[in-house]
Amino acid sequence: MSENKRQYAFFLGCVAPNRYPGIEAAAIKTSEKVGIELLPLKGASCCPAPGAFGSIDLNIWYAMAARNLVLAEQMGMDIALICNGCYKSIWEVNHKLKHNDELRDGVNEVLKEIDMEFKGSIDVWHVAELYYDPKIVGVNKIAESVTRPLTGVKVGVHYGCHLMKPQKDRHFGDTENPMWLDELVAALGAEPVQYRNKMQCCGAGGGVRGYDLTHALDITNEKMINLQEVGADALTEVCPFCQLQFDRGQVEIQDKFGIAWGLPVLHYNELLGLAQGMSPDELALDLHAVDVEPFLKKIL
Amino acid sequence: MAVKKDYKDQKLAEKLRDRKYYVSDTNPGFLKEVEKIGQTAAHMCFQCGTCTGSCPSAPRSSYRIRLFMRRAVLGLDEEALTDPDLWLCTTCYTCTDRCPRDLAPTDAIMAMRNIAARRDIIPRNFLQTVQLIYKTGHGVPNNDANRAARKKLGLDAEPETTHKYPEYLPGVRKILDHYGLKERADRILSEGE
Repeated sequence: MSENKRQYAFFLGCVAPNRYPGIEAAAIKTSEKVGIELLPLKGASCCPAPGAFGSIDLNIWYAMAARNLVLAEQMGMDIALICNGCYKSIWEVNHKLKHNDELRDGVNEVLKEIDMEFKGSIDVWHVAELYYDPKIVGVNKIAESVTRPLTGVKVGVHYGCHLMKPQKDRHFGDTENPMWLDELVAALGAEPVQYRNKMQCCGAGGGVRGYDLTHALDITNEKMINLQEVGADALTEVCPFCQLQFDRGQVEIQDKFGIAWGLPVLHYNELLGLAQGMSPDELALDLHAVDVEPFLKKIL
Repeated sequence: MAVKKDYKDQKLAEKLRDRKYYVSDTNPGFLKEVEKIGQTAAHMCFQCGTCTGSCPSAPRSSYRIRLFMRRAVLGLDEEALTDPDLWLCTTCYTCTDRCPRDLAPTDAIMAMRNIAARRDIIPRNFLQTVQLIYKTGHGVPNNDANRAARKKLGLDAEPETTHKYPEYLPGVRKILDHYGLKERADRILSEGE
């Protein structure tokens, strides 16, 4: 094992720190155990939300995301983050500005007003891709960090949309039936289950959750049907906004459609935390809208 | 031109009247605009429908991404921009990954939303997010219950963002002000009340 830890500027986003702080705590602690140190990215803002901002004016979205990128450039560190929505903004804007001079000049014109300049000197990573990359962490090292294997539970994996899609701009390969996150779940001792239409959206993106909640929930409900069909004990994802939609969404589904699914929803970092021996209190699992207890009973 | 074309059966003509479009309704600049903002060659669309068939919003609404692609190609900007369905795309990019013409219908939708926004056609929730970010730096800001939970976890009550370092907020605001977005959001939201 290498002694020196890899350091990253930890971009928090909004939903994790302000609604599910257990994800933030878990990300820091679990990453530490596999040789990744997440350092505060002081003064970062919302990524900003790609659906809301990108829909109004892409140029504002570029400029706002660029400000966050420059903060990390000033630290001289790559960014690591825990949310697919943030990945869309931060990774994609970084990528676009690095490869499009006209766009970069336009953004820098605006950033000049706040004494900043986008240089394109850093890269952006989702923690899940750091965990999977054998050159950085790798599945084996994740498996080695497990002290309490999650044996006997079936976990459905939700990849979300904005990490891997659009495929041609990203580097994750197949987006029809990916398995890499399933491998990371299997490394914890749990059984990743395959379910119908696994790559379907959670329903919340693009501003739809705020625009037409019933419509968004109907998409979420379809995922619930497909997960129940294969007897999943929990759903895991790598996007706090998807988590919000699945977790609080189930309460809203019960309210609007009268269906009680009771399917616990856990961010991969929360799942990893449990497998590394963290207690439910250390993960603030009591903040989840859907009771996680039935799942915990099976593993603790 | 199409203007004089009509059905012989008067009842049928009446029934289908609103399904016909006239040259005067179209704006060829619309397609160019969509292609420029969306960075995708929308005119290459051959209407196969793979996009609509892949769309999670299609089975539960009248939103049809293929229809919006056609509207872009035909220059039917009024049709596209005033249709409330424009805002039902979850931007999941499944259509983009599956398009046999290698187009990005999702980005065409984003472009159409950008063009709609110039005409002040923006749903309220999008503008409320703008207001929240202007105020706090976050689209989903902290609250007291969450602060208590953070402390229990051994985290600071405020995350290491603009929440804990409000001295970074003027930078955020200056960017938004550069585009006059906060003022626009305030104005449009107050007009809608």
